[in-house]
Amino acid sequence: MKPTGILFFPAFDWSLGETHPEREERLLYTQEQLFEEGILDLPNIQQYAPGLAPMAEVLKTQGIFPSPQAQDLDAHLIAAGSALVLGEAWGKGDIRNGFALVRPPGHHAGATVLGNRGFCTLNNEGILVNYLRTHFGVKKIAIVDTDVHHGNGTQDIFYHDPNVLFISLHQDGKTLYPGSGFTHEKGGPNAWGQTINIPLPPGTGDEAFQYVLETWVLPKIQEFNPELVINSAGQDNHFTDPLASMNVSAQGYGKITELLKPDLAVLEGGYSIEGALPYVNLAILLALAGQDYTNVREPDQPRRPHIPLKTLKSYVSELAYEYKQAEPQWNVRNELYLPPGEWIYLPHSIYYDTEGFQEIRHDRVRRCRHCGGTVFIESRRPPEPAKFALVRIPFQACPECAQAGYDLWDTLGGRYQAVLLQDQDRNRIEFWQADQGVTAF
Amino acid sequence: MAGRVGIDVGGTFTDAVLMQGNRILDKAKVPTKPNHLLETIIQAIDALKITGKQALEQITVSTTLVTNAILQGNLPPVELLLLPGSGVKLESFPWPISYQILYGTIDYRGREINPPDQLEWQRLLQKLHQQKNLSHVAIVGKFSHRNKSHEEQLAHYLRRAFPTLKIALGHQWGQSNFYRRSLTTYLNLASNDLFGQFASDLEQAVAARGCSAPIFVLKADGGVLPLSKIRPVESIYSGPTASVLGAMAQSSPSQSFVMIDIGGTTTDLGLVLSGEPLISSSGAKIGPYSTLVRSLAVRSVPVGGDSVILTDGSNFSLANYRLGPAYCLGGPAPTPTDAMCYLKLIQYGDSKRAEQVLASLLQPETRTPEKLRALASSILDVFVERIVREINALQQEWQNEPAYKVWGVLHPHESLNFHLWMSGGGAQGIASVLAQRLHTSVRMGKYPEVSNAIGAAMARPTFSCTLHLDTVLRQYRIEETGEQGQWQGSKRPHKAINGFLEEIVQREAQEKGIVLMDLHKDPFDFFPIVQGFQTVGQIVRGAFHVPPGVIGRVEE
Repeated sequence: MKPTGILFFPAFDWSLGETHPEREERLLYTQEQLFEEGILDLPNIQQYAPGLAPMAEVLKTQGIFPSPQAQDLDAHLIAAGSALVLGEAWGKGDIRNGFALVRPPGHHAGATVLGNRGFCTLNNEGILVNYLRTHFGVKKIAIVDTDVHHGNGTQDIFYHDPNVLFISLHQDGKTLYPGSGFTHEKGGPNAWGQTINIPLPPGTGDEAFQYVLETWVLPKIQEFNPELVINSAGQDNHFTDPLASMNVSAQGYGKITELLKPDLAVLEGGYSIEGALPYVNLAILLALAGQDYTNVREPDQPRRPHIPLKTLKSYVSELAYEYKQAEPQWNVRNELYLPPGEWIYLPHSIYYDTEGFQEIRHDRVRRCRHCGGTVFIESRRPPEPAKFALVRIPFQACPECAQAGYDLWDTLGGRYQAVLLQDQDRNRIEFWQADQGVTAF
Repeated sequence: MAGRVGIDVGGTFTDAVLMQGNRILDKAKVPTKPNHLLETIIQAIDALKITGKQALEQITVSTTLVTNAILQGNLPPVELLLLPGSGVKLESFPWPISYQILYGTIDYRGREINPPDQLEWQRLLQKLHQQKNLSHVAIVGKFSHRNKSHEEQLAHYLRRAFPTLKIALGHQWGQSNFYRRSLTTYLNLASNDLFGQFASDLEQAVAARGCSAPIFVLKADGGVLPLSKIRPVESIYSGPTASVLGAMAQSSPSQSFVMIDIGGTTTDLGLVLSGEPLISSSGAKIGPYSTLVRSLAVRSVPVGGDSVILTDGSNFSLANYRLGPAYCLGGPAPTPTDAMCYLKLIQYGDSKRAEQVLASLLQPETRTPEKLRALASSILDVFVERIVREINALQQEWQNEPAYKVWGVLHPHESLNFHLWMSGGGAQGIASVLAQRLHTSVRMGKYPEVSNAIGAAMARPTFSCTLHLDTVLRQYRIEETGEQGQWQGSKRPHKAINGFLEEIVQREAQEKGIVLMDLHKDPFDFFPIVQGFQTVGQIVRGAFHVPPGVIGRVEE
């Protein structure tokens, strides 16, 4: 049997602040636990060394503004690059599955990046998915986000992508950061239903998680029939997590992994660095490697109020109903400068909690029956006047959408400070800056 | 100037050199008697012309004693008692030996989660009482390198019932890895009596020859320690280690090369990077045992100059054994050395006999000179291919070393210019083929036949002292010795920690009877410990070490 790949990159010299949850200590005890357990001596576990993500792979997925040089990316490039190392090993068939146990996390980082939010700057899974599509011809991908926080960044990146099924299970956005991830967020006009949000009430535990997976998530994945399943393996559903209020145990996480059978898992959040992480990481890794995780026990017991399975079942059936009922309301705006076609307009704003500012976004997607549709995003950070733009021609783009993308790219230059062209289909990534002209990646 | 003797016990021959400073005064080679290693070593010493034995300053031995005992399974029974707590099930690992599980859990910071079970200990005692020949017990707990109390309590309990029991505790192997710690503790205890007997016999035999020089033993990590200070299991794999050191002693400092030692039945490989040998990032693996024994990253390929060539009439292959010397040197079977001899790559051997034995591998009608040359070349190509495969794997191991810090990933290994450095009996004959295959130059010392003995004679002591300090729990530990103690200093020490560790370093060096040359300090890592958004202390990790090296360079 092929081995399970592990890439452990704890970034022991990187933090967002000495007492910040995302600090050097975060994976220290996980290292102690994994190394003391001798996991690298288990048959079928193969360790990989971290790598740096090439900027072309990053920009294929995310627009970094005002420019990649203007953001502090070092640690993030390693976390993303490490996911790519495992992705390559998977793509080549060297590993059966893999776990990128890396810091910093990424699932709050979206299609545009003006700074760090929710501890994330680069979206490790997003970059990984598009890398595997480009280099290994993978076409259909499912991403299941089991972090307690809504995977809003990943959702943003793949919202218009009919070939990516994104499912996020998280503590209800009414009670937790980032305050999004409701059932009616179901995807853009060309990918309606490809985003599924399952907000769960505080106190949800092992059994309930298992129930939701078995009755909702797994059937959806089966129906979609992806070539690749990725798990955003946040660990803050644990009953000791200081930032959230759920009740999942280490063995519960082992069970989640066993049920999801992800090809690649990437660590996301999880800030109970003593009470949970050493045990949860171990359970996930063992489950991936097909080893017995039933002896992994954290020392504490859940003390939070517990939601009875019966209550949760009726809550979930209501959610499922809400999800089913949600209907799209598209706002069509065919402005004169836009290339031919029907452009759906989706304005929204994004809060960057780490630095405390707002990004104003005007997203437009070309409605298309043949492909994911060209996406055009305008971004700015008020009160600064500078505007940035991103043009994305999706994987497997139809000729009309590709043409629309290039028409946009040709006309946008003078009106923005920087414009990024993401021709995912032809793997052509170009970045135009007012003061530097075009850089090809 | 006082002399030094280096002895390397190989599978076929035992080499010895007598050196004075950087000069070789004498060398000797005697056949190895695998079941009489002591006798072999004494014969090698006797074969050297040593005048004024009192003036010898050091005898260094690289011996296969423990390696052989482990690989042949000649070890006394040891009762292995494990306290694995929670976590990975023990059955998930391949265990070459049996064990008993006991209750009790320590966590990653050394806190007791569950105390041991006294009733269980009483039952254990009854069971042990019924056992005949109970003499050795190894006790190993998960996270005992953070807190040794369960191991010590159990040892104390058993000693009261069995006062003469030989007990080894796992925390003395203080690196992380419970599985390897268990096997290492077991192997070290199991080889202790054997090695102890060997050590005292060797000391007596040397003393009986009027020599009072201290005897040192070469370790797997390339260092030497006095006979009485070495932990027996650390003496494994000293052969390839001696080859690496021998190459270093015959090269200029700061060079990068692949060491290739072509022996009779095995070819050993090692990697030297800018003058420092690559250390294996996990620990030595010997037979079915994964250990915590620090060792150079070396590899053995089971082919050598005397490997027998097998044929099924149309194809040939290299066996992983020898039947004696090469046919061209009077041996019984065809070998790569015969191919070297036929192609005139070596200056020794009877080329008529080489031709004769190579011809025997071909069908009678195809025994033309062209076919013979082609056959000889392809034998060497196969030999070289086996070596090249392992060289690539070794370089891959170096490239794939994990990094856990941003700095480490942003500053990857510089690309180095490697040459090949060859030693051993078969080196001459294969050098040109290897050089061609790898497009690089080959260098060879002046004494390829005693290179390992030179390595033993010139090896310096290595040293490593790694601190793990938890200022909140006020506990410090030293990885290499298993020392655990109370930290009296501040919660956030900075400069003080340096002096604290330096003191331990000096004490340890004195205790081991070694002089520290070229002591390096690894950068310390300070991890703030945060509780409820308050920094309450630190975990500090840091180390001093002396990398493997040689005390001089051989004068040609």
